[in-house]
Amino acid sequence: MAKNIKQLSHSPDRLTAGHRLCPGCAEPMIVRQVLMAAGDRPVIAANATGCLEVSSTIFPYTAWNIPWIHLAFENAGATISGVEAMYQQWRKQGKIDPVQRYALVAFGGDGGTYDIGLQSLSGMAERWHDCVYVCLNNEAYMNTGVQRSSATLYGANTTTSPAGRVIPGKSVHRKDLTMVMAAHDIPYVAQVAPASPPHWRHLVNAAEKAFDYEGPAFLNVLSPCPLGWICDASKTPELAKLAADTCLWPMYEVDHGEWKLLYRPKEKLPIEVYLEPQGRFRHLFRGEKAEEIRRRIQEWVDYKWEQLLRLCGDA
Amino acid sequence: MSESTREAVLLKGNEACAEGAIAGGCRYFFGYPITPQNQIPEYMARHLPEVGGVYLQAESEVAAINMVIGAAAAGTIPMTSSSSPGISLMQEGLSYLVGCELPCVLVNMVRGGPGLGNIAPAQSDYWMSTRGLGHGDGRSLVFAPYSVQEIHDWTAEAFDIAARYRLPVTILGDAALAQVAEPCQVRLRGKTVALEHEWAVGGGLQGRERRIVNSLWVQPDVMEQVNLRIAERLKQASADLTLWQETGSAEPAILVCAYGVTARVAETAIEWAAERGVAARLFRPISLVPFPYAPLGEWAGRVRKILVLELSLGQMIEDVRLAAAGRCEVEFFGRAGGQLLYPEEVADRLVAMMATQG
Repeated sequence: MAKNIKQLSHSPDRLTAGHRLCPGCAEPMIVRQVLMAAGDRPVIAANATGCLEVSSTIFPYTAWNIPWIHLAFENAGATISGVEAMYQQWRKQGKIDPVQRYALVAFGGDGGTYDIGLQSLSGMAERWHDCVYVCLNNEAYMNTGVQRSSATLYGANTTTSPAGRVIPGKSVHRKDLTMVMAAHDIPYVAQVAPASPPHWRHLVNAAEKAFDYEGPAFLNVLSPCPLGWICDASKTPELAKLAADTCLWPMYEVDHGEWKLLYRPKEKLPIEVYLEPQGRFRHLFRGEKAEEIRRRIQEWVDYKWEQLLRLCGDA
Repeated sequence: MSESTREAVLLKGNEACAEGAIAGGCRYFFGYPITPQNQIPEYMARHLPEVGGVYLQAESEVAAINMVIGAAAAGTIPMTSSSSPGISLMQEGLSYLVGCELPCVLVNMVRGGPGLGNIAPAQSDYWMSTRGLGHGDGRSLVFAPYSVQEIHDWTAEAFDIAARYRLPVTILGDAALAQVAEPCQVRLRGKTVALEHEWAVGGGLQGRERRIVNSLWVQPDVMEQVNLRIAERLKQASADLTLWQETGSAEPAILVCAYGVTARVAETAIEWAAERGVAARLFRPISLVPFPYAPLGEWAGRVRKILVLELSLGQMIEDVRLAAAGRCEVEFFGRAGGQLLYPEEVADRLVAMMATQG
């Protein structure tokens, strides 16, 4: 069952200090909270190429206190599938304790999950491997220098969707990967964020469920990125909270087919309060087209929010 | 400065590559992020729309190379760029591209490997570039620039070459050339690649016979004819485009063979070794496919030793040995995994080689 902060604080520290992720990066916060939720189970992690992998394992150092496998950009789902298949076989052969649960977890960024890794993630879900896939979604390829991904918001300025006088940043809306994964009808899917208190618990609670259930689980975690979003490194949890308050990143779960909002803001805030503090949207606050682009984003957010409310039976 | 060039500007190798491509007529670029070549897609995303071109970011390298196939089938000379692990992913598509007899321009800014490796300069993709292109008998024409200017010029030339021989053209760089900034005389942008090629499936039938872009030939005799056609074009390109450059002693005892960034190191090392009494000459292949076997072979009969320098454990050395055909000793000096060679150690090696051969 859900643990409180005090209980969580006694969990083993599986990603330690000394990694070289940027100040204010949400990824280590997310990873540590997710791995705390694994409780006392032995943890094995597969980590696709990306910021987390590069910054946590600069040779000859490592920030990981668990067995950890690094692999190509597109294969986290496949590699954790292989690990799980081996553990299942060992269990059958009596080589390991048949009742011991293992926390098998894959971490990938949005480039490695929404784009190049979607195939192996889908395969992992369809084959029903007992593992958890965590997408650390900072909405662009940050490790290679902020190139757009299919998780990047419409209108965002990235190095491959540059905002100029004619083209105002990314020209299409992002893919709804959480819904794609929900359509796999796996035991548990959640869309969460490392939001400021008291909302941080949605992430840990979702991770606990993901580890508890047998079968595949998918967590899509928004991961504010001061470097790529060009935002204040001290405001990461506040920005994650604003993403939920504006319904740009609603926090919800699909638990055995039951859609449920984890957090419904009392007042749905306009998108501007989330966009304005981020340099990647600076161009949406000046020039002729700015208002029109913001209106399109707001319309899309409203459409997606209404769609979600209907699915959750909250409309 | 000729009329076709603008003033010299300070550019990174990646930027010079992208600007050279636009000058050479590139209008269709399909990219995917990977270090150390990110400035190429980034430059294309920003500047291709200025000339009415299209930058598309793929969801993977597999998608990028297949977008290239689609655009080439429609009749253009498309371009993509990547670095070693990304080129590995493109191998299947490249094989299909060759099988379909389509041209493209491919840039590989090589990094340390194998596996994810690192983002430091390497030349360990020589085999993949000159022998590879996935399965089958296909080859790519491969050019190895050794300066920012040459990256710009060769990428610009690559489009005409690809169209002329209907083959993929690879520009083989490395992380150092990709990231170093040098003055570069930039060509004007006016040129575009013609869209009406004999293989183009776009534009409807227009009273002509139906065209089919395909690499599936079930009958072995037909498949063999396709292979022979491709080989014939490669042979013609070899006759036209076998390129190399030589500098250093006119009567050398040692011939140094190196390409790309390593040739830059060799130039300095040869100068320093000359001050210590070593007569050495640099032989720098510019085209790796076609490889300059004959001119290198001639030198093999005139020098006492050939020293091959590579940022790998020795890949081009196999071609050098084929060229030398036993006429002289061939020695190797290289570093792997992203390590560089330094002029001091190369000069020392040349001095030591002179000393040991009496």
